[in-house]
Amino acid sequence: MINRNALRIALYTALFAMAVPAFAAKGDVAAGEQKSKVCQACHGKDGNGVPNMDMYPRLAGQYADYLVKALKDYKSGARKNPIMAGFAGTLEEQDMLDLAAYFSAQKSPLHDLSQHHD
Amino acid sequence: MTLILRTLAGLSLAAALASPAFAKGDIEAGKQKAYTCAGCHGITGYKNAYPTYHVPRIAGQNYEYLKAALHEYAKGERSHPTMQAQAESFSEQDIDDIASFLSSLSEEGAK
Repeated sequence: MINRNALRIALYTALFAMAVPAFAAKGDVAAGEQKSKVCQACHGKDGNGVPNMDMYPRLAGQYADYLVKALKDYKSGARKNPIMAGFAGTLEEQDMLDLAAYFSAQKSPLHDLSQHHD
Repeated sequence: MTLILRTLAGLSLAAALASPAFAKGDIEAGKQKAYTCAGCHGITGYKNAYPTYHVPRIAGQNYEYLKAALHEYAKGERSHPTMQAQAESFSEQDIDDIASFLSSLSEEGAK
């Protein structure tokens, strides 16, 4: 009986923990702007790129969680790019969240591909 | 005569090298080929599952970057089951056309 209750509590705790992403840390736009200086040489001041350097992606207006995933993949080596591995390797999770919050908040022509096909 | 021909050949070679615009694909063809992309990239707020994150916005992205991303998926240098399957099925021309179409959308601005 006790065992069953203990099991139940453990189960509910686990479910609760999974169901509450609110505990996840958030990015800070102002902090991200400060940390973004080094990104600007290739990605432009606001993440909209540098003219004639379109081999580098626009970051402005991109989804923040996608940007964080990209940085984590560069850091882990899952996504291979010598330049980005060097930068991402120096970033902690909070840095990534801040940078992603800043770039995703910038004005950009990036958009979803929803209204282009009938 | 030979000199003129040589000069002309040199000039056209220089023009070809200096104009990467000629290497671009067909925007209209790219629009047709990008129909499948909209299944995931065309739904605002749509999320990838496991791990969960938003499917990136690609309309208005840079031409050379889009090409590089598709090549990386095709070669398996970047891993994502759906994107690898898609990219492997594309020809060089398909990649050019799709990248041309998607990058051309930056001029319309965010809509």
